[in-house]
Amino acid sequence: MDPKVNGQLQTEWGWLIAVYLFLGGVGGGAYTIAAINSFLGESMGLSTTVGLWIGFPALLIGSLFLIADLGSPSRAVLAAMKPRTSWIARGTLIISIFMILSFVHLVLHQFTAITGSIINIIAVLGIVFAIGTMAYTGILLGASKGIPFWRTGVVPVVFVVSATVTGHFAIMLGVTLFGGASAGLEPLQTMAAEATGLVVLEVLTILFFLQAAFRQPDPRESAERILRKRMFVWGYFILGLTVPLVLMIIIYRSSVALHGLAAIGALLGLMGGLILRQAVLVCGALPTLNIAGFEFRRIHRPKEPKPGIGMLPPQ
Amino acid sequence: MPRYGMVIDLKRCYGCYACSMACKTANHTPPGVFWARVLMGEVGSYPNTVRQALPVLCMQCEEPSCMEVCPTGATQKRDDGIVIVEKEKCMGCKYCMMACPYGARYSVEEWESYFPDGLPLSQLEEFQKKAWEEKSGCGVATKCDFCLDRLAEGRLPSCVEACPAKARIFGDLDDPNSEPSILIKKERGQQLNPEFGNKPKVYYLPPR
Repeated sequence: MDPKVNGQLQTEWGWLIAVYLFLGGVGGGAYTIAAINSFLGESMGLSTTVGLWIGFPALLIGSLFLIADLGSPSRAVLAAMKPRTSWIARGTLIISIFMILSFVHLVLHQFTAITGSIINIIAVLGIVFAIGTMAYTGILLGASKGIPFWRTGVVPVVFVVSATVTGHFAIMLGVTLFGGASAGLEPLQTMAAEATGLVVLEVLTILFFLQAAFRQPDPRESAERILRKRMFVWGYFILGLTVPLVLMIIIYRSSVALHGLAAIGALLGLMGGLILRQAVLVCGALPTLNIAGFEFRRIHRPKEPKPGIGMLPPQ
Repeated sequence: MPRYGMVIDLKRCYGCYACSMACKTANHTPPGVFWARVLMGEVGSYPNTVRQALPVLCMQCEEPSCMEVCPTGATQKRDDGIVIVEKEKCMGCKYCMMACPYGARYSVEEWESYFPDGLPLSQLEEFQKKAWEEKSGCGVATKCDFCLDRLAEGRLPSCVEACPAKARIFGDLDDPNSEPSILIKKERGQQLNPEFGNKPKVYYLPPR
């Protein structure tokens, strides 16, 4: 196997971490929207309920993906014991507090008749930690000194915006699937209008992110790679952003409630959020090393497979 | 207490990979793990090109970014400046691997043989696997530690000892009379990519 060469892509963080970042974002985004809706009153009651039911489970499942990626999962608890050391440790603390708050909020909302100041205090605290969770997923990458593509300063912004979008789509999917008659034309149009604005914001953020990456040599190569990835262009930009955007505009302008289209648009938007994170992760490359005018980086050459037993010379 | 560092003379290094092999032999690193790597660089355009070898290892930074991001405190800097990983504390999150701009860290799920899959491990491989698991371990971050076990025996790191061109010079950077200190001063030793801000303790003497 070839030695690691600077300029080559990182391979240590893959799908498991992408799913962790994605579900963390969905959980944070869905909870934030649900908690804000809870302040807006009963007219948005269904989306609040759905958002609360998404927030806590998404975080719980996401954390399991992080633990599954660890080389020594039994020591995961050590990360929570030193919250000041690193963004993983800080994130563990932020997510843990957020999980408790979102769980308590869910239980109080769903199974008790408690309303008023207690719920409001929990919702405000929950929103703070939900935004912290969404930002953390980007800051985690942004603090990685070894991957210049993640250090342009825009990744946390991209992840917060994408988390809000995916959280919104998750609520929309839940409302269209489980809302029944209460998910009528007006709520659907409101959600479609919100989704349209959020997706436009995400498109602008992504363009800004890529533009920032193209300004420096090492991030530029990663940006070129991400734009060459079919999964990113088709899976994220076309199917995960553009198609949902068009569908949301159609739903908004329609005079009948298009539940099926809303569900398809929301699903595609969610898929796009996952692909975005996976693409940002796998296109991260080690920086080029320089000394005395020489550049030391990846040399393009085909990777030779490890020979199988069948390839050994006959005995 | 000494502050260990290394000088690599790029005028002398001709890219023979003896350091890589010596490191592998001394530390029983499995396939894909190269604590002592050699990169090849090029300047100019055909036919006026020059190739240059660049040996890279853990820079034992004064301000290690791997240590900054370690969530469990497994990565530590000793009093002699050598950065180590306490494998019992490492949870294998691989964040340090993302934080090291020099790409000096590795993690393997399990010790693999160099020989084709399916063949039983030889006696030597069994020994190597055991030695790797005892010293470095699987599922945790691993890296060069200037051959701490050899230093304890009063020997030089394996890459330094193996270099046929004597391109690697190891010693105490705090001692102004040590060979590395003199070379850094006399021949304008440079750190690799000082803009990273890690303050490496591995210095390079520029090629001609």
